[in-house]
Order: sequence, then structure tokens, then C-alpha cells
Amino acid sequence: MALTTAAHPSVRRTRTRPRRVERALRGLRGWSGLLHLGLGVWFLLPLVPLLLWAVADRWSFPASLPQDYGLSGWRGALDQGAASALGRSLLLGLAVAGLAAPAGALAARGLVLGRVPLPGLVGAALLAPIAFPAFAVALGLDVLLIRTGVANLVGVVLLLAVAAIPYTTYTMRVAFGAYDLAYEDEARTLGATRRQVLLRVQLPMLAPALSGAAFLAFLVAWSDYVVTLLIGGGQVVTLPLVVASAASAIGNEAVVATTSLTAVLPPLVLLVLVRLLGRRRAA
Amino acid sequence: MSAHLELRGLTRRHDPDGPAALDSLDLDVLPGACVALLGPSGSGKTTALRLAAGLDVPDAGAVLLDGRDAAGVPPERRSTSMVFQRPLLFPHLSVLDNVAFSARVAGRSKRGARQDAQTYLDLVQLGGYGTRGAHELSSGQAQRVALARALAARPAVLLMDEPFSALDAALREDMHVLLGQLRAELQPTILLVTHDPLEAAALADTVAVLHAGRLQQHAPTGELYTRPSTLRVARLLGGRNEVAGTVTRGAHRSAFGPVPTTLPDGPAVLVVRQEAVALAAPGGPEPQARVQDVRPYGPRLLVTVRKDDGELLVEVPPGRPVSVDDPVGVTLVDPWVVPLLSLPAGEAG
Repeated sequence: MALTTAAHPSVRRTRTRPRRVERALRGLRGWSGLLHLGLGVWFLLPLVPLLLWAVADRWSFPASLPQDYGLSGWRGALDQGAASALGRSLLLGLAVAGLAAPAGALAARGLVLGRVPLPGLVGAALLAPIAFPAFAVALGLDVLLIRTGVANLVGVVLLLAVAAIPYTTYTMRVAFGAYDLAYEDEARTLGATRRQVLLRVQLPMLAPALSGAAFLAFLVAWSDYVVTLLIGGGQVVTLPLVVASAASAIGNEAVVATTSLTAVLPPLVLLVLVRLLGRRRAA
Repeated sequence: MSAHLELRGLTRRHDPDGPAALDSLDLDVLPGACVALLGPSGSGKTTALRLAAGLDVPDAGAVLLDGRDAAGVPPERRSTSMVFQRPLLFPHLSVLDNVAFSARVAGRSKRGARQDAQTYLDLVQLGGYGTRGAHELSSGQAQRVALARALAARPAVLLMDEPFSALDAALREDMHVLLGQLRAELQPTILLVTHDPLEAAALADTVAVLHAGRLQQHAPTGELYTRPSTLRVARLLGGRNEVAGTVTRGAHRSAFGPVPTTLPDGPAVLVVRQEAVALAAPGGPEPQARVQDVRPYGPRLLVTVRKDDGELLVEVPPGRPVSVDDPVGVTLVDPWVVPLLSLPAGEAG
């Protein structure tokens, strides 16, 4: 008796709820469709003139479209050293990612497992590079780096790695929070040494988070202007520096457009790779 | 695959000033035997298992494997595979590669390791599941794979930490049957931790009861039920009847009559399983009591009867109508007397 009375309402609910939910969803879909469209326009509209400028040889006011199409922007970019700057930016990004991601992972593991004294203070110190303006830090450290004779490039890599560590630490803290140390115990009792546990259990399980953290670190270095300019002393010419110098001159719109587009592509490719890796793990 | 595991005076204090999580535990697990460590949470049973596996270091005492002291031997060299309550299948590996894990870390080729793993997957009746991902299994299947993975390491001792307690009752029963089959086939030495007396009885040859880090009694399960050494053991195994009384001239005396005992004279407690009390028609030679309370308990009834200041809980099989205030005769089948529990300060019940 108790069973049948308990079953009835739930049966009725399963019949009526989907219809109600569906109606609500349909309404939401209308609004969210508009929202999606709006956001798309907001994000993508600025790219339209950029794309047009990249293939424009002449586009003068008040014409709404370029008058002459061509690749002069790309030639100009090559002349201004965009190719080598691209290579330098890539290397810088990879170097910073290679330093900041493992450092963030180690810091996060220590913080999550409670193996760090004064974890609140350490956590705050690790986040400090975000709180201080990069300009102030770079200007202060510039003097120090010159005095200690650290090479410009090394200085840039080190400083950008410090700037990226807050992001990698945060990402890895979340990952370690969800990571179960019992997996390591299990692996040990199955005969895995500490090294094998690291290589066969911990790294593969944390790979999606690690690649995400590395991507963030890469972006910090990839898009940096201030630190590269001040600490690099003008000798470390990366893509943002080329874009900025092109943008500061008049009549260079096509070059700015091509170099900017070039700057968008590598992170996009990396992002797709990171997502694919994450999906393969999840599948 | 079957080593002799001995725990000698094993002691572990997680907090140097606090009480010992495990206090001088002595335990023998003979080759091919299955011993259950039974106790409530916090009784130190998992600590004992982790010490045996080498995942934790004892403050005193020793773990002996086939007579050799395992002190300083890291977990990966002890040959003591562990099965935890959660399957802990590595999510980045297929089911087959999970089972092949131990062979791979031992340096075997991928192909050889997988062939070997397939044998163990077949053993747990999941031969066709090798290519699946760890998350594509039900909880019961995942725990079977975990068992296959532990066995594939050919452990000297298989350690199991509440391995089936996260499964529902039907699945748990299946796993008990499976473990029985695996024992018959491979004869592994097993040390099993559980808080469930029924599981301990179903799986183990002998059961060691732990309370507050101390071994209370180690005996075959049947003996634990009928001959508990202390009131704690009786309670832990689900015994509900405790009748206070006094021992004089070799018998415990209470409202329910004299029960022979070897305990010295003085206060003592009569324990008798609620399943081992029978109700008889009133007016017979048995002690006479009155029904105080009747509650349904599955197909049975849980009946409380009272005689003077003594109360007994009786599990009555279906088909015998009982109502409150009925006069009944009470027969105690196999009663047993244990010493009065001297409770440490601050411990209630």
C-alpha cells in the first residue's frame, strides 16, 4: 500500500515535468540565442576590419571597403622582422610555460597536501605578481638585473615566469584538489616505484590540468609588452613589440593587421590542442 | 601467492600525545588463509592494513612476511597488493591496461602484460571488457577489475580495505561468491578489513575484533557469536542481550536462571544471541516472562520480554503470533557469561 501511494506522484511528475521544463527551455533558448548572437558580434566584429586590412593595399576614408586588395601588409610585416619576432615569441612562450607550469604544479601540490608552513601567506605571495602593476615590478627589477649581469633574455623569461606562476598555481590547485592520493598508494602496492608513480599515474592523470596551466603561462609571455620592452632592453623583439612599433607609426594599418592576425593564430592552435587532449582524457 | 603474514606488537600513534591508533597488535595470517579485521570506524583496522602494506611506518612492532621482517621495505617491494573501498581504476588506462599495470611496472612488455592481464580479467568474469575505459563500468564491475588488478600482481598477501562496502547488497553477495571462487583457485593469503560482521563471517576463516586499537578476540566467526570474550565483542557482532547478574558457585544467576560459567565469583553479564532465545507456551518449566514490546523485523518479529528486572530481545520466526502482555516461557539456547565491562573514563557504552 505504502509503495503504490509513493509511486503515484512520481509517475505523474515524470509525465508533466518534461513538458513544463521543455517550455521553459524553449523560452530560454530564444533569449540565449539572442545572447549568443550578441556576444558573437561583440567578439568577432573587431576582427572584420582587421581581416580586411590584412588584404588591403589601399583603404582610405570614407570608403567602407578597401579600394585595392593585395599582400603589401604581409610584405611590410616581413620587412619589419615579424617572422623572427614570431619565432622569438613562440620560444619565449614555451620557455615561460616550461618553467611556470611545473613550478605552479609543485607549489599547488605542496599547498593542497598541507606540506607548506604558513599556507595562507605562501598562497598570497604566489598571487602577489597579479596584484602589483607589471610596470612597477619590471622597472624595479630592471636595475637589479642589470647590476647582477643577468642576460636580457634570461631576465625576461624569469620575470614572465614569475608573472605566470599565479595562474598556473591556481589551475593546479584546483586539479590537485580533485586528485586522489589513494591512486598513488594503489600504484605503490601494485609494484610501482615513486618514479613510476609520477610517470605512469600522476602525470597522465594531471595532464589535462597541466596543459591548461601551461597554456595560460604561454599566453602571459605571448601577450606581454611591458616586461619584454623594459627588461629586454629592446634586444628581445617579440611579436607584441613589432605590433606596437608598427601601430605607433601612421599609415601602417595593413602591417598592424597582419602582425595582429599572426599573433592570434598560435594561441588558437594551442588552445585547440589543449582541448583535444582534455577531451581524449575525458573520453 | 600465499605467504605467511605476521604482525608482531604493531603500534602506531598518529599524534605523539594522543592515544595509539593501533596498540601492540599481534596477528597471524597463515598461508592461504583469510583473516578479517573487524571493528567500528576508528578502531585501527585500516591503520593495521596500511602498516602491513608499507604505506605507513609503525612506531613499534614488526610486519613479518614468511618470517622476514619487512621494516624498511617500500610498498612496491613487499608484494602486498591492496584493494580499497573505491576501485581506484586509473582513468587514463583501459580496463585491460589497469589489470596489466603491475606487470608493466615490473618491466614486462606491453603484449606479455596484456596477455597475462586477460587471464585475470577472465577470472573475474569480465573477459570481454578489456578495451573499455575505467569509467564505462558499473561500480560492481569496477570493483571486480580492481580485484583482478590486485591479483594479477601475484601478491604474497592480498590486503582488502572494506572492498565491498560501497556496493549494494545483491552485488556484495556476488562479490562474496566470486572471492570464494578466487580463493579456491589461487589460495591467496588475505587480510580483509570490514565493519560488517556478516561480511567477515561470509569471507573469512577467522575474525580478529579490534576496538580502540586493541585486539579484543581472534577466533572463528561462530565462536565470536556464541563465545565472545568481552561485552564489546558481543556488541560489535550485533548481540543485543545483556543481562546483569552475579556469579556464585560456578554459575551466573539472574532473573533468567543459573548459567554455568568458569568466571570467578562477582558481578558478570549473561549474553545470549537474540536468535538463540526461544519462546515457549506459558506454564512450562522454563523461566516465565511477559511480552513488553513487539516490532516487525523483516519477516520476523523482534520481541522484548521482561522477567523481574531482566529484559531480553527475542527474534521470533514467522508464523508465531505474539502480542504485548502475553505471558511466555523463555528458553535460552547456548547462553554465555562475560565479565562486566570496565569502561575507561569518558566512554559511554
